[in-house]
Amino acid sequence: MIPDALPALESRIEILLHDPAASPADLHAALAVLYERYCLQEQMLARLIHISDKYQMAERERGLSHVEQLQRKVRQVEKIVRISDGYQSMLQDLHTRLTAISNHDDLTGLPNRRHMQERLKQTIAQAERNGDTVSIALVDIDFFKKINDSAGHAIGDVVLTRVAECMRQSMREYDICARWGGEEFLMLFPSCDLQNAAQLAERARAAVAKIPTDDLHAGLNLSVSIGYTEFRLGEAIDSTLKRADDALYCAKSSGRNCVIGSSASNE
Amino acid sequence: MNNLNLSQTSSTPSILADWSKGIVQMKGDSYPENSFELFQPLIDWVQAYLATAGQPLHLDLELVYLNTSSIRSMMDIFEQMEAAHKKGQMVSARWFYDFANERVGQLAEEFREDCTFPFTISSKPR
Repeated sequence: MIPDALPALESRIEILLHDPAASPADLHAALAVLYERYCLQEQMLARLIHISDKYQMAERERGLSHVEQLQRKVRQVEKIVRISDGYQSMLQDLHTRLTAISNHDDLTGLPNRRHMQERLKQTIAQAERNGDTVSIALVDIDFFKKINDSAGHAIGDVVLTRVAECMRQSMREYDICARWGGEEFLMLFPSCDLQNAAQLAERARAAVAKIPTDDLHAGLNLSVSIGYTEFRLGEAIDSTLKRADDALYCAKSSGRNCVIGSSASNE
Repeated sequence: MNNLNLSQTSSTPSILADWSKGIVQMKGDSYPENSFELFQPLIDWVQAYLATAGQPLHLDLELVYLNTSSIRSMMDIFEQMEAAHKKGQMVSARWFYDFANERVGQLAEEFREDCTFPFTISSKPR
């Protein structure tokens, strides 16, 4: 269609309408052409609306698909984070278990020598800061070699376990008892002077002497010898340990199943 | 396509991908410095296998610890398998874990959650 054809047709119809001499047939023919063109325009408009609607629908679907993709990605990231958190938690648990294993004696469940050395350092450093007292006691199971030789190592292990449990029960809540060596245990008494250490050591000795052994081996008597001492401010930990060891030696030499203390005055 | 054969290190799992048998085996921990370098060849291998081999694919896993990027890569592999399964291809996975470490089994369950193909999780003694 020529662009200006429609305005020209409308002008011609306008003239025919106002011209009394105009032929009704000419007017009818012109109106028929005009009607036909309006119908054509209407069809084109409907087609345009249809195409536009399709575009809108496609865009909407594309938007929805983007939203779905985004939601899927978010779910995926959430899942990755959830699984990753699970692995981190697993590692943390493993670390906790390994730390506990590395700090404790496998047989008795008591803190081991390495862990006790750390606790000794910490407790003594704290006591030095606060001017507090600290005592230790070295405990040795009497005739343990004989027990192992006569009753066997399996019974020896049970003896170690029972003695360890007994000492754990006899301690105050904040005392620490560690397996120091084969049949040797070290007790750490924070906020405790020599006099109180004597009582705690004696309580442990008496408790061990009451451990039932009938089910273990005929004629088996359990006892421990204990040497205890008080930490002196400013001294090296090894000196305190040496004093407790000397006291233990005295206890052994004095017939065993007894407690002997060592202080600065009786050295 | 060539087979893949990577040895286990302290931070990467062993990876064995056998084209003729249609089996991928992975074993160990996975926290590589560059997870793209480790996993992309495997992801490409799985993609190529699923697209061209026309044979079943089976994954045998004994993975213990995975860092975040390794988790992402494993999810990509499972997604490829899931898509292949939905198209009718035979794919399957089996994840073994140490019976003393139940947590690994629980985490394998998380991976299985979105998979509809056969995926078994079993404990085994050390």
